[in-house]
Amino acid sequence: MSMNNLSRDMRETLELILSLMGHSPDLIVRDIELASGQRLILLYLDGMVDKQAVQNNVIASLLDRAPAEEVPLHVLQQCVIDAGEVGFVDSVDELLDQLLSGCLIVLTNGTARGLFVGLPGWEDRSITESKTQSVVRGPQDSFTETLRTNTTLVRRRVKDPRIRMVNFKVGSRTKTDVTLMYISGLANDKLVEQISERLNAVRIDRVLEGEYIEELLRENKGKTIFPTLYNTDRPDVIAGGILEGRIAIFVDNTPFVLLAPTLFVDYMQSAEDYYQSMLYSNAIRLLRYVSLFICMLAPSVYIALTTFHQDMLPTQLLLSLAAQREGIPFPAFLEALLMEVTFEILREAGIRMPRTIGQAVSIVGTIVIGQAAVDASIVSPAMVIIVAITAIASFVIPSYSMSVPIRFLRFAFMGLAAVMGVYGLTIGFIILTIHLCHLQSFGIPYMSPMAPFRKGMQKDAVLRLPYPSSKPTGSARGKR
Amino acid sequence: MRRMNGVRAIIAGLALVLLLTGCWNRRELNALSVVLAMGVDKVGEQYVVTLQIVDPTQMSHDRVAERSPVVTFTQRSATIFEALRKVTTKASRRMYVAHLRLLVFNEEAAREGINDIVDFVARDHEFRPDFYMAIAKGANAQDLLELTTPTEVLPAMELYKSLKVSQQAWAPTAAVNIVEFLQKTTKTGIEPVLTGVTVTGNLKKGKSLGNVSRPKSFAEFKYVGIGVMKDDRLIGWLNESESKAYNYITNNIRSTVGIIDCPGSDGKFNIEVIESKVKIVPSVRDGEPYALVKTSIEANLSEIGCNVDLTKEAEFLKLQAAASDRLKEILFDSIAKVQRQYGADIFGFGEAFHRKYPSQWHSWKQEWGKHFQAMPFEVAMDYKLRKIGKIINPFNNVKKE
Repeated sequence: MSMNNLSRDMRETLELILSLMGHSPDLIVRDIELASGQRLILLYLDGMVDKQAVQNNVIASLLDRAPAEEVPLHVLQQCVIDAGEVGFVDSVDELLDQLLSGCLIVLTNGTARGLFVGLPGWEDRSITESKTQSVVRGPQDSFTETLRTNTTLVRRRVKDPRIRMVNFKVGSRTKTDVTLMYISGLANDKLVEQISERLNAVRIDRVLEGEYIEELLRENKGKTIFPTLYNTDRPDVIAGGILEGRIAIFVDNTPFVLLAPTLFVDYMQSAEDYYQSMLYSNAIRLLRYVSLFICMLAPSVYIALTTFHQDMLPTQLLLSLAAQREGIPFPAFLEALLMEVTFEILREAGIRMPRTIGQAVSIVGTIVIGQAAVDASIVSPAMVIIVAITAIASFVIPSYSMSVPIRFLRFAFMGLAAVMGVYGLTIGFIILTIHLCHLQSFGIPYMSPMAPFRKGMQKDAVLRLPYPSSKPTGSARGKR
Repeated sequence: MRRMNGVRAIIAGLALVLLLTGCWNRRELNALSVVLAMGVDKVGEQYVVTLQIVDPTQMSHDRVAERSPVVTFTQRSATIFEALRKVTTKASRRMYVAHLRLLVFNEEAAREGINDIVDFVARDHEFRPDFYMAIAKGANAQDLLELTTPTEVLPAMELYKSLKVSQQAWAPTAAVNIVEFLQKTTKTGIEPVLTGVTVTGNLKKGKSLGNVSRPKSFAEFKYVGIGVMKDDRLIGWLNESESKAYNYITNNIRSTVGIIDCPGSDGKFNIEVIESKVKIVPSVRDGEPYALVKTSIEANLSEIGCNVDLTKEAEFLKLQAAASDRLKEILFDSIAKVQRQYGADIFGFGEAFHRKYPSQWHSWKQEWGKHFQAMPFEVAMDYKLRKIGKIINPFNNVKKE
């Protein structure tokens, strides 16, 4: 911009701003004359600032408390304006940034600076229960769309002065606030530096959700279907994360906060594991791993056994499966594909439909379609059981972002099983294992602490050990 | 650019994977006929092969009552394999033999040797080597497999389970699977046995569904004793108590019943064997083999028809001694009979010598049959009666007051 510097004439500046903003109707301009005869222009965006505060803390103070003679801006800043966050803007860009972030701008004649007063006050959603990771016992609050609310939720849980926050603005148009939060001394400084560098280097016009940042930060973009940056809307999980020495990445306008680095086991843990008795939590964790394998492999194992390895089934089971398959026109693979795709459609429909009817429709749809398909001899009852258990198992995986790749892999394994039977499954599983062990999240092996095996980190990996020895500070995941 | 090619290759590969679902030895369940039992009758120079297959529609809930749950196909041919393939001219599906439960030969086939048949069964990759083998005694394998049976819907399963249970609970049968048979038939120091099974009653009615429409079947099968084999040929049969002795000596007794004459009075009493352990202790006497059959038995009294007072230990011990003597007699006589009459070492004495005296064994190996026939042996008993049941004295002994 050629005219980046502010003019000493406030009228000129105002004209410039108005033309840059296209005389937007929500840009409110307020002209004030103080007791001394000094004229000020106040600028703010309607809906972005707390109007009550503007009235009480700025306009009222200026009118009542302004000194009798003309004063420079810094006197207004220091003595008159009744607000916590007041500062100077020296350029048009800066002025626009502050204006668009919900600040009140104060201009006066005779100086090439302006004042901004931070009185943001827009309508936001109140703190509600977590919708994606609910718990029976444990804190029920979740993040909202407001970044400051979110960082506060974490701060309230960890009252440590060594909490560090670093701010970034990402997105040339959206100028989204991104905040890194970590505990100094626990987190790996190199990692903080690395993430900061990457955030600074980002060239993108918009950041509307954490996923934009996640994709920009991922080192293995396009090489894996597994998520390598954990996201959650639970403040307790983020608090736990930074206490383990990890780095939380808050993105404005989204209730999902990212956590780096991320291990595979994180996706299999739920916040509730830490709020229930150890025995119960561990049993449930093991159940989740069982569900993971069921979700990924059940249909493919069924296909492999019934089309290639009938000799591996007990005779009675084989006979009952054979009886069910009588009159089914499709091969087992197509039958499974048909049902799984149907289920995925119903599931997607259930998510996109209005909340009130979503769940009912998807459940009823599955049962009705399943039952009708069996009655019409299009699929066998055994296949309906397999698809149903697969579907239920996929809901057990605590993190939605992990259940997605598992659901994809299910189809890949079904294909392998249809072509090569258990042999194909074995090959697929070996490739999957190699891939997972090869993955890294910010330099940490994705499958650690299992591969490579770290004895010290087993205290909270697949199982959770009792608390006193569970997480001594300093043996943090980030520091490796 | 190179990575793009890789991705393309993977996508193309996956697409092909989906198209290729019809290849290799993939078979849908509804393209298979599950063969549960196979019968081989030797008639002249040819084999008559009978296959009992399941009609899968009859295994579901909505089955038609008039249809038989199994179908049998019979094919005459010079070899088993050819017969199996020829059957497809009569059936719509491929014969799937991995779930074979029972392989039955008729006596003629067994007497002439079953190596040809067993060779195919052991060689073919599809057979799962966990099925039982039996010899149809005085009957055709075909008749046996065409019988309808009352307890299980599938006759082959009934034959299979019945053999398994009878060996465990009653003992005079031998549930021999193919692996066991092959091991014994290829070793020098032990000979195989196969259990016998026969069909009694009105065969014509027994082969119809009417056989199971009333409480008492028109015809039924029955396992009868053990057939002694020499190599792959049947050479004779053991009766019931000899068959039981065979199971005692080969440690196949899980539980059985013994009937013993009362000591010092008329009547009989029964014991239930709960634990049986027999050890063959080989030794060499004057350069010749000599065997000690060490037997330790634990049993419970189960039925007493004697005039005894069980409150007295001496009388109880008398019963124990009688039971012990009776079993010793059975074991001794059975071994002696097998030695004398058949000369086939079905008990595995030779194996015991082989293990303990490998060097001597090599000089006996060639002529083991003769050595076995001449081998002196002894039976040592360690017999313990444990429990007498819920009542003490027999009712006819309780003094009326």
